[in-house]
Amino acid sequence: MKKALLLMMAFMLVFTVTTVFAGGQKEKAPTTAPAQAKKAMAGAEPTSFTKLEVEKGATIVFSGWGDQTEQKIYRDSIVRFNKIYPDVTVDYQPIPADFQTKLKAMMAGGTAPDVFYVDDQLMTAFGSTGQLLPLDDYMGKAKVSRKDFITALLTIFTYKGKTYGLPKDWGTLGLVYLPEAFKEAGIAEPNDNWTWDDIAKAAKAISEKTKYKGFCQNADWARFAPWVFELGGTYTNADYTKAALNTEPVKKAASYILKMKKDGFLVTSADVGAGWAGEAIGKKLVAMTYEGGWMVNYMRNQFPDVNWKAVQVAKASNGKRADVIFTNAIGVNAHTKYPKAAAAFTIFVTSRENQAEITKTGFAYSTHPDQINLIKDPNDKEIAAGGLVGKVAYWGPNTGKINDQVSKALERIYLGTMSVDESFAQADKKVNAILAGE
Amino acid sequence: MKAQRSLSEIKKKEEVAAYIFLSPYLISTLVFTLGMILFALYISLHNWNMFQRPEFVGLKNYIKAFRSEDFRRGFYNIFWYTLIVVFFQTFIAVFMAVILFKPIPGKRLFRTLFYAPSVTSSVVISMIFWWLYLKTGFINLAFDKIAGLFGGVWQNVEWLNNPTGLFQLIAKSFGGNISYDKWYFNGPSITWMAIMAQAIYTTSPTFMIMFLAGLVNIPVSLYESASIDGASPWNQFWKITFPMLRPVTMMVVVLGTMGCIQMFDYVKILTAGGPLGTTLVPVYQIYSETLGISGPIRAGYGAAMAFILAVVIFVLTYIQRKFIEEKTEQY
Repeated sequence: MKKALLLMMAFMLVFTVTTVFAGGQKEKAPTTAPAQAKKAMAGAEPTSFTKLEVEKGATIVFSGWGDQTEQKIYRDSIVRFNKIYPDVTVDYQPIPADFQTKLKAMMAGGTAPDVFYVDDQLMTAFGSTGQLLPLDDYMGKAKVSRKDFITALLTIFTYKGKTYGLPKDWGTLGLVYLPEAFKEAGIAEPNDNWTWDDIAKAAKAISEKTKYKGFCQNADWARFAPWVFELGGTYTNADYTKAALNTEPVKKAASYILKMKKDGFLVTSADVGAGWAGEAIGKKLVAMTYEGGWMVNYMRNQFPDVNWKAVQVAKASNGKRADVIFTNAIGVNAHTKYPKAAAAFTIFVTSRENQAEITKTGFAYSTHPDQINLIKDPNDKEIAAGGLVGKVAYWGPNTGKINDQVSKALERIYLGTMSVDESFAQADKKVNAILAGE
Repeated sequence: MKAQRSLSEIKKKEEVAAYIFLSPYLISTLVFTLGMILFALYISLHNWNMFQRPEFVGLKNYIKAFRSEDFRRGFYNIFWYTLIVVFFQTFIAVFMAVILFKPIPGKRLFRTLFYAPSVTSSVVISMIFWWLYLKTGFINLAFDKIAGLFGGVWQNVEWLNNPTGLFQLIAKSFGGNISYDKWYFNGPSITWMAIMAQAIYTTSPTFMIMFLAGLVNIPVSLYESASIDGASPWNQFWKITFPMLRPVTMMVVVLGTMGCIQMFDYVKILTAGGPLGTTLVPVYQIYSETLGISGPIRAGYGAAMAFILAVVIFVLTYIQRKFIEEKTEQY
């Protein structure tokens, strides 16, 4: 009896200690490409970069966010990668929710994947703290240049002159609209020569003559950015040391939008009972909005019967057009056991060959400027054109907080709790405090 | 003498056995609770981004927290939240428990139905309420129908994006005006009150169960004697039920207060602290700073805020215990 009791106690102790101290160990999932398939693929040679020498028998873990569609795209990318590097095993472990939070915790715990998506939040956390591998040497060996990519996209992923992530895709905004609303109002559909005044006039006519609301725009820094950029404005100065919100371009853009809202031709998605502006288009609640290339798949899947179109964002009255660019990259964990294989995978996924295949699916645009013409969908093509006049809304390590202050300033003027001048003066003050580290 | 020695040996062996049995819990508590608290205290005195060596800054993080308008605002918001939610959830829980304690038909069914919101995931509940609270949602529709019955028209309210404070509304109805800048005079916003309603709806049933358990423990003889003495049901409630439930009430109020002060999930899912900071809460700020949600990771600053919050919870719990326990009659 005593022996049994002692045995049980010993077992409990061992169980506790092992669960407590071994809890962080990762389970290894099977690789995506079976050995036979890899053998068949072996021998393929890349054309846009030089194949790198990699560690023998390397197994790398790759993680990113995304739904089933995105996961399929990257599983296919891994199959293509294995045609060139048959001896590297890529263990794809997608993290669909709370990616950034999980990645930070994993990195702190030493269990982060070898290769993963990097956005501005992760670049802020990992870039300056030595958690990302500089890719420049590997790029040099693979004969890949920073110039191969759309220049603006590398802004976020460059720290002290080194490249910590290669842009994997990008997006921008376009003027998305419902042709039937224009037909019902008896007015011409938007085109690439439209200006802000054309949007305002059309929004007025549609709101007055039809059941649709004119233009949908939430209090959101991203949708506000093209308006500001077109007037030559920005959110901070060039070296991210001083706020630039209490300035004429910002206030002029905000005043224009506010006038439309006060006149009743501009609504928010919540005003019409939608979660976001794209949904408001899908549900035929509004005639126009600024949305991005994600609308193509969204409308195809959620509202296949709704006819919608897109043109480039409207120009300001000064005739200038500007757009905002969103981008994410693929980066390598600085602590990876297989830096060469991880870098080879990153270079491959963001290469012309692979990007061309991804672009064909309509999921994302290629990050190489000479591949913009690969976009087939006419609406997508129109939206992507904004990339040529686009700018990444990146303001250094405090980008999130600064953009948040812009959204709050817009929220205040939308709600009517402050004038445009007061609201952006306050935002400017707060951004300066953030930049001062307060 | 021999018998005594063997007795103390047995006692010693029993003690060792007890510690071995307790060891699984003790080890995890030492590592994950006490260890983590000490570690948090250590990093609260440092600037730390989780990846590089912590830099000692003394009490700077604490001073920064006290100086932060957002952090003060978080406490202001959570004060109203705790005050209103704890009061209503306790009141509703007692009310539901007393009703369900009576021998009514379908009692078990009602208990199950009432309890359902408490076992539903906060994410699911939040999504349901998000839908109900839409400007074109069911709540506005219901108010519109009610207003229609009296010949009025209901102006749809954007429940989850309305920063207007309770005192602002009151001032407005008397022709006054309180500026949004003076947030400390505004009271809880409409959005904040909408979230409070959601919290009350989901937490009251849990506390109802506790009150039901408390009601079972009240001796029936007390009610019988009171009836013989001619006490009305109302008097019986105030003179017997309510005082006898005091220990449960104490627990409910303390648990409710702690839960309210640590509120996070609804804010994260529904408002992210908006509109205009009227739903900003300390735990959400701790989360954002510690994990660098919209800026650099400032784990030391987050830990300092967490310690300030812990002290507030400790003090409040102590006051409540003192206040309620002193008045609790022991039977």
